[in-house]
Order: sequence, then structure tokens, then C-alpha cells
Amino acid sequence: MTQIELRGIEKFFGAVQVIHNLNLAIADNEFIVLLGQSGCGKTTTLRAIAGLETIDQGDILIDGKAVQHLRAADRDIAMVFQSFSLYPHMTVFENIAFPLRATRMGSGEVDKSVREVARVLRITDLLGKKPSALSGGDMQRVAIGRALVRRPKAMLMDEPIGALDAKLREEMRAEIKRLHVKQGSTTIYVTHDQIEAMSLADRIVIMHEGFIQQVGTPDEVYSHPANLFVAQFVGSPVMNVADAAVAGKASFASVIVGDATTGFEFPSALLSKLNGHAGGQLALGIRPEGVLIRRDAADGFMAVETQIVEPLGSFDIVDLKVGSKMLRARTKSGFVSGPGEKVFARIDPTQAHFFDKASGKSLEVRL
Amino acid sequence: MASVALTHLDPASRAAARGWSDLTIRNMFIIPTLAFLIVFNIFPLIYSLGYSFTNFAANRSEPWQFVGLQNYRELLSDDHIWSNFVTTAKYVIVSVTGQMIVGFGLALLLNRSFPMKGLITTLLLLPMMMSAAVVGLFWQLLYSPSWGPINYVFGLGDFAWLSNPDSALYAVAITDIWMWSPFVMLLSLAGLSAVPQHLYEAAAIDRAGWWYTFTRITLPLVSPILLIALIFRTMEAFKTFDIAYTMTTQPTAELIAIRLYKQAFQQWDTGKSCALAYIVLIMVLAITNLYVKYLNKVKER
Repeated sequence: MTQIELRGIEKFFGAVQVIHNLNLAIADNEFIVLLGQSGCGKTTTLRAIAGLETIDQGDILIDGKAVQHLRAADRDIAMVFQSFSLYPHMTVFENIAFPLRATRMGSGEVDKSVREVARVLRITDLLGKKPSALSGGDMQRVAIGRALVRRPKAMLMDEPIGALDAKLREEMRAEIKRLHVKQGSTTIYVTHDQIEAMSLADRIVIMHEGFIQQVGTPDEVYSHPANLFVAQFVGSPVMNVADAAVAGKASFASVIVGDATTGFEFPSALLSKLNGHAGGQLALGIRPEGVLIRRDAADGFMAVETQIVEPLGSFDIVDLKVGSKMLRARTKSGFVSGPGEKVFARIDPTQAHFFDKASGKSLEVRL
Repeated sequence: MASVALTHLDPASRAAARGWSDLTIRNMFIIPTLAFLIVFNIFPLIYSLGYSFTNFAANRSEPWQFVGLQNYRELLSDDHIWSNFVTTAKYVIVSVTGQMIVGFGLALLLNRSFPMKGLITTLLLLPMMMSAAVVGLFWQLLYSPSWGPINYVFGLGDFAWLSNPDSALYAVAITDIWMWSPFVMLLSLAGLSAVPQHLYEAAAIDRAGWWYTFTRITLPLVSPILLIALIFRTMEAFKTFDIAYTMTTQPTAELIAIRLYKQAFQQWDTGKSCALAYIVLIMVLAITNLYVKYLNKVKER
């Protein structure tokens, strides 16, 4: 039972402020992912919670108790490092036993706990080996084992699988999820990989330049990005964002992208929901799967020309020329054979996002 | 040698203009060094091995005779020589232990960032850079019974450090510790800074206390480099001559190297002193071999 709360955290490195007034409440057993580019302050936040970094302002509460003045050792949290940080001169057994022996646990109990954790992580046959003899994935299992073995109040993970190759990363991702479901402990996980974040998190915290951009479930963050940064950071392929102007027509609203001559048809309700943000300061965001294309003309579809086609196996990404802008659409594999083809496109109004260009904030238009 | 990849000469360089090849330049560096080593090190080494089986005396012109193993037999049954070895062993143990403790301790203190760290480190290294004979002479003054600062500071009255048979050897050892601890410190510092910071962070997260971290992480990870320092210092301490010779004439502080010097250049017993030198050499080799074996074992871990 561990709740962690961050209240008004501020952190400076010299004159540079790396964390700005950060507030976050993490529930018991929750899997929280801090997501952002390098230098966004996510690792600093994690290290501050761990006690490896001091903070200049604010409170860190673990189970309601302020811990920002406690040393790392007194906070009873475990951490998995990106570099694994296994003790190179000790065997796997000794590595996992280290946190238990450091607190003078009896040897019988140490042995039992280590073997139990090794069994859960399926590394029993590695216990006698040195870290240098292990593969990257096994090293990470050992590092996780060392963190799990003493049943800490919370688990902190700093890009734990960032150093592994792609296939192993996917494997370990599933394993971390399996462990979390099975062991259940409050977990804070730092990554720059949005796929990792989406697949693991109960809630994602997206950070940029020391500010929290949005906190929400993977679905919320993906379907209702709070601002342009989140919209473009989460999701692959990246969301299309283009300047847009909206004009009212007889039975529909026309959304003109960039300098295109004709607009996409949207329901008239859009006009009232935009609250006067009609032209000039508006940006339209649409994920590639929200751009629908077909081969023959139909009501509401606009004729466009295909440019580059990127075949990705399970689907293709097709660039469509709309005015001078490119709109990327997701299609079935092989739907478009190559550049220069003429197809018909429309934008799915339910998947469209409108942002205020000046502030970058979402206008929360839901059609 | 042939497998060493040489960078090719810049054709515009002056060396190329003189018609030198890479090989020529390489030889210009290596051949003088090799020649020097052969003439001044290897040749005397082999020649003195020959002398050790004779009764040759460098200050007499009469012909010498081959005496077989007699020199060695006499030396190894000479109680006087054995007491020199015991003195040397005491000296090596005291001075090397002292250097390891002081040197490693200083390194631990210096292994963090604080203002003027570079300057302080350099100052601490100064003793090592001085000439041993000069250090000996200065410490003789420091130890002086009537007006030496050491007795004054510690309030020891007129305690005669260097002419007291019980303390002379240890007084020399203290000087050696003062002079050579910086060497251990330097190597230890290199070892300590090579321990990755993230291991200390992991240990802190794992709730390890200072002492536990020190004994389970710091010491095992720096032990290979500490052993190297130990090997160097043992070898050097074993053949200490200059400091001890300039500081004291007490027979209780007569190290094996001083005995060797007296035999060779005061008694002019050249053949016998060559034999003694070989006995010392074999002992030093044996000790360092033990260390190196242990070092390899430590490195395997």
C-alpha cells in the first residue's frame, strides 16, 4: 500500500530550471510512466523521488510522509537503472542478495527470498554466474530481481530496457507488465519510447522542458491530447498537424487545410464548438488513421494526389498532397501502388483535433 | 613487430623530404634505447652472474679464481647476513603497510570534489618527486635530538631517533612512508575514480550503509590496483638504500642493500657481493611472483 505524491516540485541545475512546479498524485499499485524527450526532466524527477537528487522546492510524500530530506536508503524504494548497475564482482545470487544482506538479514531468509525472486524471474540457473557472463536481457532480469527482492514500497525504473535491442525490448516489456500484474507494486517508469509508455502504463505523464503536459490513461493521451506537443509526441506514425481555416457552408462546415483551394467537409456543429476560433489561429490535428481514402469519388470526399508510399507490412503510410501541405494517411497494405495516383480523401470528424495555434492548447472539440 | 600498423608519413613532411621511411624513424627511436639497455643493464647483469662464482676483487690486480658455489654457501650460512634480511623484512612490512594505509586513506579523502582539489593533490605528491638522498638529509635534521622540530612538536625532549638502536629502523621507515605514500595515493585515486558512480547510487538505493558499501563495493573494485601499488612498493622497499644510508649508521637499521654496498665498495669483496645481489634478486622475484599470482586471481573475480 504505497501512495506517492509530488507537490510543487522545483529543481534547478545552476541557473537552469529543469522542473517547474510539478504536481502529481500516484495511487497505490499504479503503474505510472513518465514520458518525454531527453532533457525534459523525467529522469531528474525519478531520481528526486529516489533520493539521488535533491529538490529546491516542494514536497515528496510517500504514504503521506514527507521524505524529501531523507537519504535514499531511508525511503524504502527500489530502483532499476538504465545501465543495470549490477555489482560486477559479485555473482547473480550475491547481487540479488545485496539489499537483504546490507540490512543484516539472516542467511537462511536471504537464501529463500533470493531463490523465490529468481524463480519468478526465471533466472534460477544463472544464480552462480557473474554479470559479465550474462546477456542484456538477463542482466535486466537480475537488476529487476535485486529491486523486487526486498518488497520495496515502490519501484522506480529509469529506462530499464532502453539499452536492449528491439526484439529483447519487446520481450522484456511484456515481462515487466506480467510482473507488475503478478506482484503489484506502485511503479514509476521513465522512458522516451511512447510505445513502451502506451503498453505499460496505467497512466502516462507526458513531460516537456520541465513541465507536465498531460496526465492520463494511454487512451486519453492518445485520443484526447491536451496540446500540440502531446499530439505529436504520442502515436506513431506522427499525427498530421496543419494550419486550418473553418468556413460555414449551407449544410456543413468546410475545413480548409493550409493553402488548399477546397475544404474538407465537417458537421456544422463544429462551428459552434470552436467558440469563434474560426480562422488564422487554428491548427487541425488528424492521425493518419483518421484520414480516410477511397479510389472512387463519393460525397464529401476530395480528390487528391498520392506522393510517397511507405509500406510498413501490416499497413502503408501514404502521403497525400493537399494544397502545398502533405497529409499522411494510413491505408491497407498495397491499397495505393505508388506516387502520382489519384484518390479521394476525407477526414473523419470524430478523430479530428483542433488546437489554438498561439497557445498550442487543444480546443477540446469532440464531434 | 611486423603486425604493428604504422601510420604512413605525410609526404609533405620534412622527414619524407629527407628520404626517411616510417621504418627508419621507428628504428631511430628504438635502436638507441635497446643499445643502452644492453650495454648498461643486460651485459652487467650477465657479467656479474659470472663474477658471483669467483673470488674476484675489483681493487686488486692479482688474478681471480673460479670458486664455484662457495660464495653462495658462505653467504647463506652467515648469521650476519640473515640478520640483515630480518631487518629488511621488518622495514618492508612497516613501511609498505604504512604507505598503503596513509596513501589509500588520503585517496579516499581526495575522491570527491572540493575547492582547490588539484592544487592540494599536487602538493601532496611533492615528497615523491624529491631526491631520496635529500629527503634523508632533511629528515635527519627533523629528527635531530637537540633542536629537531619532531621532538619539539611531540614534546619528546632529546630522544635520539636515529642513534637509538631500537628506533632507528622505524624512523627510516616513517621517512619512507612520508615520501612514498603519495605514490599509493595516486594509484588508489585512479582506482577509486574508476568505480562507476552508478554503483554507489545502486548501493544507496539498496540501503547499504557507508561501511558496507566500502567493504563490499569500493574495496573489491579497487583491490587490483591496490595490489599493483603493493607490488611496486614492496620491490622498492626491499632494495631501499639511499634514505637509510644517509639517515643512520645504526647496525639495527642495516638493510640488505647497505650490507651489499659495504661488501662491494668498502670490503671490495666483489665476487661475494655479486652473489649476494643475486640472492636478493631471487627473493624479490619470488615475492613479486606471489603477488602477481594473487593479482591475477583477484582480476578474474
